[in-house]
Amino acid sequence: MWRDAALVAGKDLRIELRSRVVLHQVIPFGVLVLLLFALALGPDRRPMVQAAPGLFWVAVLFATVLAVQRSVAVESGDGVRDGLRVSGLDPAGVFLGKAAAIGAQLLALEVLLTGGVLVLYGAQVRSYGALLTSAVFATAGLAAAGTIYGTLSAGMRVRETLLPFLLLPVTAPVLLAGTRAWQVALGAGGSAGDPWVRLLVVFAAVYLALGVAMAGALQEAA
Amino acid sequence: MTGVPGVDAPVVPGVDAPVVHDVDAPMARGVDAPVAHDVAMPGAPRPWGPVATWTVRAMGVAAVVCTALTVWLGLWVTPPDAVQHDLVRLVYLHPPIAWVALYLAFGTAGLASVLWLWPRTRSALWDRLAAAAVEVGTVFTALTLVTGSIWGRPTWGVWWAWDARLTSTALLLVLQLGYLALRRVPGDPDTRARRCAVAALVTAADVPIVHFSVVWWRTLHQQATVLNANLSPTIHGSMAWTLLLGFVAVTLAFGWMLAVRYRIEALSAAAEEAELGAALAERRAEGLAVGSGAAPAGGPDTALLHGALATAGQPQATDAEALCPDAGHPVAVESDAGQPAAVRLGSAAAERAQ
Amino acid sequence: MSYIDAGYAIGLGTLAAYGALLWVRRRRLERAVARSAGQEP
Repeated sequence: MWRDAALVAGKDLRIELRSRVVLHQVIPFGVLVLLLFALALGPDRRPMVQAAPGLFWVAVLFATVLAVQRSVAVESGDGVRDGLRVSGLDPAGVFLGKAAAIGAQLLALEVLLTGGVLVLYGAQVRSYGALLTSAVFATAGLAAAGTIYGTLSAGMRVRETLLPFLLLPVTAPVLLAGTRAWQVALGAGGSAGDPWVRLLVVFAAVYLALGVAMAGALQEAA
Repeated sequence: MTGVPGVDAPVVPGVDAPVVHDVDAPMARGVDAPVAHDVAMPGAPRPWGPVATWTVRAMGVAAVVCTALTVWLGLWVTPPDAVQHDLVRLVYLHPPIAWVALYLAFGTAGLASVLWLWPRTRSALWDRLAAAAVEVGTVFTALTLVTGSIWGRPTWGVWWAWDARLTSTALLLVLQLGYLALRRVPGDPDTRARRCAVAALVTAADVPIVHFSVVWWRTLHQQATVLNANLSPTIHGSMAWTLLLGFVAVTLAFGWMLAVRYRIEALSAAAEEAELGAALAERRAEGLAVGSGAAPAGGPDTALLHGALATAGQPQATDAEALCPDAGHPVAVESDAGQPAAVRLGSAAAERAQ
Repeated sequence: MSYIDAGYAIGLGTLAAYGALLWVRRRRLERAVARSAGQEP
């Protein structure tokens, strides 16, 4: 399973390296969302700084939807999905591989958006460790949930409108927990961030496990 | 809600016979092939036996009776609360509706989805039950929010508050709407069932996580919680009985609705099959007529449909409105990537078949 | 109309309306299936 995962992850990342869609489209979209929020919240920096953790995670969530759409789209060619099915690759491995690729892309996005938040909103980091830990687990959860719904909706024509509506409510806890954890890490108030990081870990674990367990059914549903 | 005489409709002999498809016709291949034989053949649903029919009917009647009783007790007989005065009367409705929506409906849908996904217990029954449970559950969830909001307005002064309960219920409503949207995506029943079962499980896994995160959101957050929507801790006497009655009434109502909605699901699957079979038979008859040189009856639109059916193996979506100009109902010819097209015909086609 | 009455009316009214809708849908479907099944050879 792990070998298949590495294979699929490598394939997806190599496609990304060559096509650079995420780099040129999804990441700028994330930055754009931050910009739009700045326009919405007004020129005064105070509301922006206070809302910065939440705005960051909302931007990440929107970008996740795009990243998942892209990950599904690379396999939407004629017979590609069927080829994947009959290739003998372990479906769980395929799931993990795609999730890993999405996760890597999201992490790159988050690094850039963190910079954006620090610069554009004037936020200040109190604890880099907390920032990193929560971001890693949140990303794992997002990638897992995103891959599940992406695979589920792969064969549908209405995927573009339906996927966000399916994925985003499910990732609401990540938004909640990530925001709270980052509030602590950015010193924007709030109590201890530990329970939130724990929630992020649970979410990631649950959704990774679900994806692996249902990978076979998911592949048939596509 | 009146009784359920419709359930007692006389057993139609033809309803039991499985609908037979001609395997050669291109459409039949599309419809039959993906339906795996580990799923009970949709065919025509067996009419319910007398026991089931009587139970459902009794449930409906009991629901009405209990509800009426609850209203009478709740609005007139029971005393106003010491703290909330008359506002407490909504406790006989709102918590029961919430309980049914959050636990009964969702639990049924989740359990049914698991049973469908498990190969040993797979059956179209579970898929239909899950769909029915989610749809009825969505109505109850929306009602939970509405009654909660109506209760909140005089109690807290606001129509909405971001307390743990309301927030997680709102999220649950959106999740259920997502399931319903997924259910409407055209495709063969087996794929649709699989997708929806997976989605239901993924959603169900999310529910406890959402619950905890929202509760922590409200309690760990350092703001003072101004809103405390709890009832007085002890509820006793006639109020307790009325509350229990309220639970019973709403549960019975849910049970009846679930049964009827399930029946609707089974029937609509059969109706689609029957329409399809009839339309195919007609097309084949026309094909024979054309082959022997006679002009096909039915006019230009049936010829178009014939042509469309012949080419429908290609993954293209055709605008069926152009094909059936006199069809009163929207028709969809949709093919999912890589799969043969599935055609759902409107009532015009069915009428022509009669 | 007090909030309580409104709450009861909306809550029970919606349930009743949905129940009626289900009942009508089921009857219509049963008739449709019976009709087309009657056409099967």
